Amino acid sequence: MFSGTYLKLARAAIRSNKWRSLLTMFGVVIGVASVVTIVSIGEGVKHQVSEQIKQRGDDLITILPGGRIKRDHNGQITNFNPLDVQGGVSFSEADYKAVLQIPSVKPVVPFGRVVGLAKTASNEYEGAEIIAATEGVPLVLNQKLAYGSFFADNELKANSAVIGQRVAERLFGENVPLGKSLIIRDREFIVRGIFDKFSNGSAFVASADYDNAIFIPYKAGQETMGGTIQIYQILTRPTDAQHMDDTVAALAQALKTARAGQEDFTVLKQDENLALANNFLNVLTSMISAVAAISLVVGGIGIMNIMLVSVTERTKEIGIRKAVGATNRQILYQFLTEATVISLLGGILGVIIALLANFLLRIFTDLRPVVTWPIVIVACGIALIVGLFFGVAPALKAARKDPIDALRYEQ
Amino acid sequence: MSLIDLSEVSKLYGFGDATTIALDEVSLTINKGEFVAVMGPSGSGKSTLMHMIGLLDRPTHGTYTFNGRLISHMSVARRARLRRDTLGFVFQSSNLIPRLNVLENVALPLAYKGMTQTRRLKQASAVLEQIGLADREYFMPKQLSGGQTQRVAIARALVNNPDVIIADEPTGNLDSASSLLVMELLSDLHKMGHTILLVTHNPELTRYSSRVVFMRDGLIIADEQTQVGRIPALARKLYFMQRKTVDDDLAGVSALMKALSSDAAQNKSKKVKKIKTKSFKRPRKKRVAK
Repeated sequence: MFSGTYLKLARAAIRSNKWRSLLTMFGVVIGVASVVTIVSIGEGVKHQVSEQIKQRGDDLITILPGGRIKRDHNGQITNFNPLDVQGGVSFSEADYKAVLQIPSVKPVVPFGRVVGLAKTASNEYEGAEIIAATEGVPLVLNQKLAYGSFFADNELKANSAVIGQRVAERLFGENVPLGKSLIIRDREFIVRGIFDKFSNGSAFVASADYDNAIFIPYKAGQETMGGTIQIYQILTRPTDAQHMDDTVAALAQALKTARAGQEDFTVLKQDENLALANNFLNVLTSMISAVAAISLVVGGIGIMNIMLVSVTERTKEIGIRKAVGATNRQILYQFLTEATVISLLGGILGVIIALLANFLLRIFTDLRPVVTWPIVIVACGIALIVGLFFGVAPALKAARKDPIDALRYEQ
Repeated sequence: MSLIDLSEVSKLYGFGDATTIALDEVSLTINKGEFVAVMGPSGSGKSTLMHMIGLLDRPTHGTYTFNGRLISHMSVARRARLRRDTLGFVFQSSNLIPRLNVLENVALPLAYKGMTQTRRLKQASAVLEQIGLADREYFMPKQLSGGQTQRVAIARALVNNPDVIIADEPTGNLDSASSLLVMELLSDLHKMGHTILLVTHNPELTRYSSRVVFMRDGLIIADEQTQVGRIPALARKLYFMQRKTVDDDLAGVSALMKALSSDAAQNKSKKVKKIKTKSFKRPRKKRVAK
């Protein structure tokens, strides 16, 4: 009953000075809008990554250079180190061959990095990633070709290439450049296949954006690179998905032997891969959110500032209210409610702006931000707490005013 | 039992050498149903006395009993609630809240009782009707004339059906026609049984009162029962002499002194009950002592 009265008072006060109220809540609006937007972009990317990872199938095994995780003796991951970047570490030919020796995996597909620029006679495309690989690529990526066919393991020295759709558009300016030639490091390759559009390609996970990829046969890639090539990942699938853990262990053992006992590599099951990606994105999102949250604090200080001014301006009103019987506590609650309502309104406005921003991001970029209820509720909750916290000082100032002095006060 | 009972109440402001005595051991008893006019020059302690009686202030020394309850040591919150339930204020400048309309302003004291909005506004509306401002309910304060504003302020003071209405120079800013309306309204309320305390500079207004209290330098120097409708002789003399002779004021022996002595000599009427000549001299003694 009382709180209703205070809410009405707050509404009247906010209405009587609409512009000022709006400007007061602006800091909170910006804070909440940016936090919600960033978190929802993070959620969106997570969503995209997980879609992408799921799309490859549950039984995919990813082998990466660099020790990114630690496992206990049961094979459970005990420690993620998502920021351990590949830093020059890569697999050698010998490592690849060691994996090939394992009988329980098939196919084993090395992804070798070819450094260079893809050109045609009239055009060049800097964004393309050139990958030297083997026949199993469509299988491990779980992706069909839209046109043509992939090269077989017995033509690994051939001058043929399979490209993603964006490469087709950007390099050749057409959808089906089958039979056209492109030049990589002065060697000419003929396009023999074009992939279907990969699902959920995203600017944030560019390394996994195969729409931008040019696949060339492994040996041909090796030759263009002068005999050795850096393998930055090996993808494979077990022949029997029931024995996934045994297979992972066998792979790890074989690689450890091949790399002279060093465990500077990571063998990941698909669910672990997802967890790893999420872990990295969480760290990134929370760091950016923390920066954005500072603006919330600044917004809170803005509210406190204006409320202090407002209390001084309304000294006479406070005197009148006290004269007609308002207790200090009632005055305190009145101003506290007002600050909280302003802050909460700012939070709601911030969420609306974030929704708008997400809508625009969806239209104009590759990002697919996802706003979830917890984000909205937490953001509004934080706005409420900010209002309460920063409203206390002005409300106390109002409540403690001496009624006689307050009544005598003239602007 | 008396409604208001002040016993040797003092109010001091400041510390040490800068101490100001706003009220100097004032004793005053007011019964239910009285219409007390308080007169005196500026700085005589009238307003402090009203704030004290109105529970906005606490005495430095002495005891104040309101309606049988000792106020001196009452907490701020309890005094606020007592104010809400038993007192109504009317100030010189009307002190309506400019953002609220007339009806909401009148209903203000009820809000702090926790009454629902519907009941609040109904009751406020009834009071406005009673004082003849029913057609101004949805006006904003700045849309009203001075007299109407004061009448709204009186309505607000009335809305919680208080025991005492304290009016601190309610006609100070009004022309004589509006003053008349406001005073008639207060007079009507008096007739209906409300206790009214009126602070005024204007002796004409004492004709509405049943008792006149004169103050000077924080002391009550005269306290006179009068007949309603008549201006007490003392008020009239005081008023005119103060206006006429500058010398008296400069000499420090005020016009009042003369008024009192001549009054006592000429007229042995018992209308003048107490003339505290003794206490009148006391501040002088104190000052010498310092």
